[in-house]
Amino acid sequence: MKILVCIKQILDPDMPARDFKVNAETKEAERGGANLVTNIFCENALETALQIKEKTSGKVTALSYGTDDTEDSLRKALAMTVDEAALILREGDSNPDAEAVAKVLAAAITKLGEFDLILMGRESGDWGVGQTGGLLAEELGLPSLAFVDSIEANDGTLTMRRQTDSGTETATVTGPALALITNNEFNVPRIPKTRDVMMSYRKPLEKFSLADIGLSAEDVSGSSFYEVTDLSIPTKDVQCEFVEGDSIDEKIGVLASKIQPVVAANS
Amino acid sequence: MSSIPAGVPTREIYWNVPFHDLLYVFLVPTLAIAAWGVYRRVRLWRAGQPILRFDRLGERLDLFVKDVLAQGRVVRSSYAAFFHTGLVIGFLVLFAATTVVAIQADLKIPIMQGPFYLFFQSLTVDLFGLYVLVGCAMAGYRRWKTKPAKLVYTDEATRLVLLIGVISLTGFLCEGWRIAVTDDPWGGWSPVGFVFAAASDSMMSDSLMKTLHTGTWWFHMALSFGFVAWAPYTKMLHVLTSPLNIFTANLDGYGASLKPLDFEKAERLGVNALTDFTWKDLLDLDACTECGRCTAVCPANTVGKTLSPRDIILDLRELMHNNAPALLTTLGANGAGTKGADSSAPAGAIDAAATLPPVIREGTPLDPEALFSCTTCAACMEACPVHIEQLPKIIDARRYLVMEEAEFPEGMMNAITSLESRQHPFPGTQFNRTDWAEGLGLDVLGDMEDPTEAEVVFWVGCGGALVERNRSTVRATAKLLKRAGVKFAILGREESCTGDPARRIGNEFLYEMLAKGNVETLNKYGTKQIVTSCPHCFNSFKNEYPQFGGDYQVHHHSQYLQELVEDGRLLNGKDDVEKKLDRKVVYHDPCYLGRHNGEYKAPRALLDGALNTKREEVARSGRDSFCCGGGGGMMYIDEKPDQRVNQERASQLLESGADTVAVGCPFCATMLEDGVNARKGDREVSVMDIAELLLEAAGDDEASAPVAE
Ligand code: SF4
Ligand code: SF4
Repeated sequence: MKILVCIKQILDPDMPARDFKVNAETKEAERGGANLVTNIFCENALETALQIKEKTSGKVTALSYGTDDTEDSLRKALAMTVDEAALILREGDSNPDAEAVAKVLAAAITKLGEFDLILMGRESGDWGVGQTGGLLAEELGLPSLAFVDSIEANDGTLTMRRQTDSGTETATVTGPALALITNNEFNVPRIPKTRDVMMSYRKPLEKFSLADIGLSAEDVSGSSFYEVTDLSIPTKDVQCEFVEGDSIDEKIGVLASKIQPVVAANS
Repeated sequence: MSSIPAGVPTREIYWNVPFHDLLYVFLVPTLAIAAWGVYRRVRLWRAGQPILRFDRLGERLDLFVKDVLAQGRVVRSSYAAFFHTGLVIGFLVLFAATTVVAIQADLKIPIMQGPFYLFFQSLTVDLFGLYVLVGCAMAGYRRWKTKPAKLVYTDEATRLVLLIGVISLTGFLCEGWRIAVTDDPWGGWSPVGFVFAAASDSMMSDSLMKTLHTGTWWFHMALSFGFVAWAPYTKMLHVLTSPLNIFTANLDGYGASLKPLDFEKAERLGVNALTDFTWKDLLDLDACTECGRCTAVCPANTVGKTLSPRDIILDLRELMHNNAPALLTTLGANGAGTKGADSSAPAGAIDAAATLPPVIREGTPLDPEALFSCTTCAACMEACPVHIEQLPKIIDARRYLVMEEAEFPEGMMNAITSLESRQHPFPGTQFNRTDWAEGLGLDVLGDMEDPTEAEVVFWVGCGGALVERNRSTVRATAKLLKRAGVKFAILGREESCTGDPARRIGNEFLYEMLAKGNVETLNKYGTKQIVTSCPHCFNSFKNEYPQFGGDYQVHHHSQYLQELVEDGRLLNGKDDVEKKLDRKVVYHDPCYLGRHNGEYKAPRALLDGALNTKREEVARSGRDSFCCGGGGGMMYIDEKPDQRVNQERASQLLESGADTVAVGCPFCATMLEDGVNARKGDREVSVMDIAELLLEAAGDDEASAPVAE
């Protein structure tokens, strides 16, 4: 089975909160000293793909739309034992919206060949829009399923389990299909073996420009179907006050009188 | 004997022993059997990888004199010191005496006469013979009566002790009867024999003594020859392997005991077959005397974990001997016995190596769980009387598990993953690399117009900058450096982990990447001197970075601050501390400053200069210090509540009655603060870095207050 996994590189969500800054002008997060990492759900998708490959056979390709820095994320995918990787170098908008990304990915996938299964993370840890997968399925004309947490491959049939608010649903599809992967205890991304990390540098990682896949910068800019009007970090106000009093009873009394108005205001 | 005039002291050799020339007939097979016993081991070692251990002969000889002849390390245990030294010197003296006999009897050179005969061949030999006898008795007493847990109890050991005892006893009997029957005028020079003579004389006739003498003499010889032939097949082999092992020991200190890995050529990353070890690693196995000192001092073992450095060595030894045929095939197949070192090794060697069982096996002393509970404290290596290197073997096995299998504890995985993407091992930290320096106005190399103006780089370390507890330590260090007017700068965001945790956990690859990156950064700024308050970083710079072209003069902050105090640049000179401290302080030696790098004095001197009071010491300190539990990646692991090394260490330190535990390492500070809090009861005890204490002594109020957010 040929599987393609789309991955996204994002700002390290684990960076110290105080280091996180946004630019109100460009309405984007500032990189600052933060690192770039692969979005966690994308890693869950990679792990899911690799497990299917190990159980059946076939090939896994990783694809990303990003900058030269994104090569690191693809190398890591290769180290996880993905077979090959492709990077579409971003042009124009530095924060393209889901529709634009779906367009790019669709063009890239058409260029890369035929796939039986396309996996993506259910959403990214930076903007959390969660629309790219559905839009990509639309572009490619494939059936898609979101919140999938496990996939069984059997004689060309794919049995997918998806999480819902009330439990799980199972769907069967004969592919090609697209699934948006969420995390579960079985798809915790593997730690690459060093041997594989070393090998990852010898595996194919092709870079393409938009032109290579038949698109131009205009095709993927300004097509926004939504607009970010404001971007700011919510501020938290913390006030600390020590309750005074001679006895514990008196302190409790004071505390209660302080809490009451707050409770009343919020109920 | 005719050539010796009457009246010159000597004795007749082979008195009362007809057919004594038969000895030579027996000697040949005895030596052949012994030689085979030694050879069959030596060829096994040759199946290991190459490593250079016959260089620097002068230093090696020094070590040999210190730790073989003078038994430098054996004598650290006073009971063993007494009897083992007796056995060693006794054996050497008796060997010399036998040689003297041979020179006299076979080379016909009459040296066994006169004062030499009296003082050496009679008196000295007799006394050392007695020492051997007493030694056997003491060894036996320990083995059968006191039974310390660290020993391995085998029938073989029992037989050996008995055998040596009986050999010396029968020797004395023969001597006694000879003195009695010949009325030896110089008999008194052999006091022990003389006592036997006197006792026998009163009890038996000359002819009975002569008969007994002949029989016992042959019995004595048979046992002695039997011993020589058998010894190489027993733990007595250590008589040869231990001195050889000490001679070929690692001369560079424990901080430099890990081998670099050639990623281009290595067929296997780390070790999981005996042939992945070096020949010296294999020699180590045969040099072990089973004394158990390593396991007795191991912190992990002390708190009840399964890790036992002695059992790792003994298990590998058994594995080596049980797989001797397969090992020898690897040797035959590629001649040099260096599978893996050369990618052109014939396929035969690799196939043969593939038939070897794995080294890492569950349920054995090399169970992954045991391997991943080592704190890399090096206490085992320091305790080993014969310089066996247990720690590098543990790391070799970890390398295999981490790099080839990616199988290791979750906490360590998180640290490694974080190191890969964030260059520090503390996922989830809420600090960046410069937060701690807020308001201090420190120079950052990358922002300086002329970075060479900074004479010293203050290397902060991840444990200092990113762990809440230690930010006050690095802040105190920076403040003290400023006070002393030192021209220094920090790297700020350009600093990465030195790679120590990665290397100790077993990810040599990641360590190399981090190390190379740091060397590049430091060299870019023309760095010459580094001060750091982390002994792990210190160790990397001192022992490991030169290999990547990073040659710096590196100081632990305690060393540098002490120099500043001595130069009168800090605290207005040595004896003029502005505000001497009234704390009752006990100092905990960090493994990577103390044992790994031999610095025990500077931190103590620094403390003594800042205290009004007398500093406390605990039994496990200095060379014998007990790990805080945080090294070797253990910092990132949740230990079982009843198996916490830090709490065990905290209890030891609390016993000193101190109210302040002084540390010199961010890992120790975090581990011991937790340990002390768990064990201190209602006492008021604080854990403080030396720099914090010094700043307090200098009258800076911020010292003990938390860093402002
Ligand atoms: S280095 Fe320390 S923890 Fe590891 S085996 Fe040796 S004594 Fe035990
Ligand atoms: S390794 Fe060294 S310390 Fe440990 S039992 Fe053997 S000889 Fe003794």
